[in-house]
This record gives sequence, structure tokens and C-alpha cells, in this order.
Amino acid sequence: MADHVLQIEGLSKSFEGSQVFNNISFSVDKGELSSIIGPNGAGKTTLFNLMTGYHVPDSGRVLFMGKNIAGRQPYDIVRLGIARAFQRTNIFPRMSVLENLLSTVITKNGGNLNVVTPSAKLKSAHERSYEILESVGLADVAHRQSGTLAHGNQKRLDIAVALALEPQLLLLDEPTAGMSPEERWQTVELVQRLWEDLKITMLFIEHDMDIVFKISQKVRVLCYRTLLAEGTPAEISSNEQVIEAYLGEEV
Amino acid sequence: MGNARNTEAPSGTAGWLVGAVVVVALFALPLILSQLGRTGEYWIWVTTEMLIMALFAMSLNLILGYGGMVSFGHAAFFGVGAYTVALLMKKAGAPLWLALALAPVTAAIAAAIIGWFCVRLIGLYFAILTLAFGQLLYMVVFQWYTFTGGDDGIHGIPKPEILTPIAYYFLCLVLFLICFLAMRMIVNSSFGLTIRTIRENMERAKFIGVNVRRFQWYNFILAGAFAGLAGGLLCELNRFAQTEFLHWSKSAEPILASLVGGMYSLVGPAIGSTVLIFLKIIVQQAHPSLVETWAIFLGLILLAVVLFAPGGLVGLYQRLTGKSET
Repeated sequence: MADHVLQIEGLSKSFEGSQVFNNISFSVDKGELSSIIGPNGAGKTTLFNLMTGYHVPDSGRVLFMGKNIAGRQPYDIVRLGIARAFQRTNIFPRMSVLENLLSTVITKNGGNLNVVTPSAKLKSAHERSYEILESVGLADVAHRQSGTLAHGNQKRLDIAVALALEPQLLLLDEPTAGMSPEERWQTVELVQRLWEDLKITMLFIEHDMDIVFKISQKVRVLCYRTLLAEGTPAEISSNEQVIEAYLGEEV
Repeated sequence: MGNARNTEAPSGTAGWLVGAVVVVALFALPLILSQLGRTGEYWIWVTTEMLIMALFAMSLNLILGYGGMVSFGHAAFFGVGAYTVALLMKKAGAPLWLALALAPVTAAIAAAIIGWFCVRLIGLYFAILTLAFGQLLYMVVFQWYTFTGGDDGIHGIPKPEILTPIAYYFLCLVLFLICFLAMRMIVNSSFGLTIRTIRENMERAKFIGVNVRRFQWYNFILAGAFAGLAGGLLCELNRFAQTEFLHWSKSAEPILASLVGGMYSLVGPAIGSTVLIFLKIIVQQAHPSLVETWAIFLGLILLAVVLFAPGGLVGLYQRLTGKSET
């Protein structure tokens, strides 16, 4: 119990009769950088959706810091300390890069009922926003309309927005999806550096096995509605079941 | 830490200068018109109505342009404001200032009740529910003869002695300017920024910790309050309140004004509303038989806007001067 940030207990979920998960359980240790892999349609994103209040599980519990959060509203769960970056970029496209951050910082500080002070004059929120933009390398484009950024930078902004929420658990859904090989490794370095600097727990979904095995301390494999295996990269890459079901001839 | 540049479009000193010139012109306008005899009197009345309808259009734009919520029932709050003034002054003998002060309050209460249900839905379903509530209120006012006068409306609203047409114009202008500054403050605030995040991406707004429904509800109430004041002002200008004020076609007016003027700026809907009223009068004065054909002209105007200036007049101006839209 002691050092688990997240515990999934007997989680099941069906959509219109087709079962996505059947009785899944696992725990995420505090400070861990771990990954979730699995074939397309294995329910990796659905798992994130269940953790963040987008979907309500049919049964089972999602314990965050010991508290059951299954079925709570997304905005509520964010405030408790789980933030996520999305697979398909999910930003505020017609607002500037800075405003994307600013609105998040203001919301995080609980200041968004202020109807008097111009948001452009909130000095500490601006400083905090720039600080985060600098940490992900987007400070130079702070005044660009965010929807006009290149895909890779939009993904970075998505991560920056999640970081602005100062989460204890950060969920990254395919942070390198759609990127060029060069951008991919830049993003991987960014993720690893943020994890080392911020000392938060990170859980990411990834398809690229090189990335998964390089940076994860622990790998979880979702397949056939269950958690097929869980272990260190070395354990997973030599696991017979995993090779047969998922990694196949690749490894 | 980079340079702490302003995040808003750089309106700066040029913006303030244009604003000052417009305000001075608006104050001078009735003084010039009053020299023109009967025609002048008519135009003072028209410009007063333009100010009121501009306020109504801007009030809708808080939810439409800034909040991304299309409401087809905004006239409900305009009507509640109008009937508040009519009933308080005619039946309770209240003074004008009190009636006008209470118009936004009753409208806000109505918006709080109706909005509480409506914000549970999004998109088209939200729009249809606002329409349903608006028409429900319209039918209540239409049928309740003993209280609202039904389809006769309430006529002969008292007018204070000192309130000449010019004085009333100035009253409306001052209230319009106060409301304009208040709305400007709201849209530039943290609250305004939050409302825009919801417009831009409702799902993401939830995942940065925004209680979306609650903020949409607050915004709906604010918009309703400003609409209520506009309704109250029009009631006193006309010295009557009638069911037409609550009708869904009245709800369409600020939507059309926002489309024509541009819904991503504060002044856009006010400009759109004024231009439409002006054109309507021009068409009617060109030839009396053209009154019936206004809908055709309106259709052509909207067609032109949608095809050639999707950002409305303000968007067109920004494009021509090379400024970006927000």
C-alpha cells in the first residue's frame, strides 16, 4: 500500500456488449517511469480514460493515493493530481501558445472566477507559464497561435499544458505519435529529462518498442482484455507469452 | 523568462484613440440631429434604439462568440427585462431608475433557472432547449392576460417629465458605455480566458480542471443580465412591452448581428446590429413597398457575409489591415 500512487483493482469495462477489460489489476509505484504496450484496440487509451474520469468503469476501483476516483468528474480528478497529454493533439487551437499555458496555470491556482483583473496582467501566472514553456522548448513561439504550430510542437504544448497542472501522476498517450524519427528521440529525451527533474510518476503508452525498452523501468502489456504481463524491459522482451501474442517476429 | 508582452491583440493607443473619437461622436450626434427638426427627432429615436439593440447583440456574444454556445432563446431575457420595467412602472408605480436596476436582476434569475437545464446539453441540443424555453416563456406571457396583458402587451408606461428624447438617448448611451466596459473587463479577465478555453476545446478544458458546466452557466447568467437591461431600456423607449420582445425571431436578431459584425470581437455584434438596423430603414425609406422585401435583402447580406467575410465586418477590417483574428 505504502508507495503506490495508483492502484487498479479488478477493473472491467464493456462498450455496447463488447468487453474491453476483464478484471484488470496492477499498481504503479511512486516515482516510477513505466509504460503500457499492446496491440491496437487492446484498450490502452480506454484505460487512461477510466483513470481520468472520461469513462466510468463497470466494476472495480481506481485508487489514486489510496482514494477511489472511479466515476468522478475529469475536472475533479485533475485537481487531485492526475494530468494527461493526449494521443491526438488536444490543445486550444485559436489561442496563443502562452494563453494555452496561462489558462491552465490560472485554473490550477483556482483563479478563474476573477472577472476583474485582465489575464494579461497576471504577472506570476505569466512567469510560471514561461517557465514551463522554456522547460519544453516552446518559449520562442509563445505568441504564435497554437493551432499553427508544427505537429511535434503541438504535442510538446499538450505535454506542457499537462505539466502546468503540477500533477503527481502524468499520463502520456503516445507522446511520439506521428513524429519524425528525429523528433521522436527529442521527445523521448524531453520526457526522460522532465521525469528526472520533476520527480513525478509517469505512465506512458507507446508503440515504438525501442523507446519503450530504453526508458521504462517497468512495462505492462495489455492484450486480450487482460494484463498479459508486467515486468522490467528485460523480463518482458524474453517473456514467451508476450512474444507469441504481441511482439511476434519483431524481436 | 521572456519579454512579458501583452497577450491580447495589440489595440494599444491607436485603439483608445479610435474609441475616444467614437464616444465623442456618439455624444455629439443627438445635438446635431436636434437641429434637423422632425427628421432629426426621428433619427434620435432610431439611434437610441440602435444603442439598445447593440447592447442586446453584445450580450448574446458573451455566450455565442466567446463561449461558443449558440442560443436561440436569448430574447427570453430581453423580454423578462422589458416586462420587469413595464410591470414595475405601470402596476407598482416604481420609478424608472429602480425598474431599470431590477430589469437585469430578474433577467439574471430567469437565465439562472433556464440556463441550469440548458448547460447540461451541448451543441445543437443546447440550442434547441434554449429555443424551447424561450418559446415557453413567450406562450406564458401571451396567455396570462391578467398579469402581462397577453397579446395586447402593456402600454402607456409612464415617462418621467425630465426625460426628453435627447436625455433618454444620453441615458442609454451612458449605460451602453458602462456595459461595454464591463463586458470588456469580463472577456479580458481570467474568467473570460476560461470561457474561451471551453469554446476552443470543451474536452481539454475539463482536463485542465475546468468545471465546464458551471462556467457555462455563469456565462449564461451574465449574458442574460445584460440582455435584460437592454429589454428594459427598449420598453421605456417605446413606452410599451409586447410579446414580440420574447419571440424567437427576436432571438435571431443578435445572432444575425453577430454574424454580420463578427463574433470574435467585442464591438463586432454592436456594429453588425447597427448596420442592419440602418440598412433596414434605408430600404424602407427608399420605397414603402420594399418593407415586405427586407427579408430578401437580409438574406443577400448574410449570403455575402458567409461567402466573402466569414469573420464579419470586424474580421474583414482585420484582414484588410493585416491584424489577426483571435
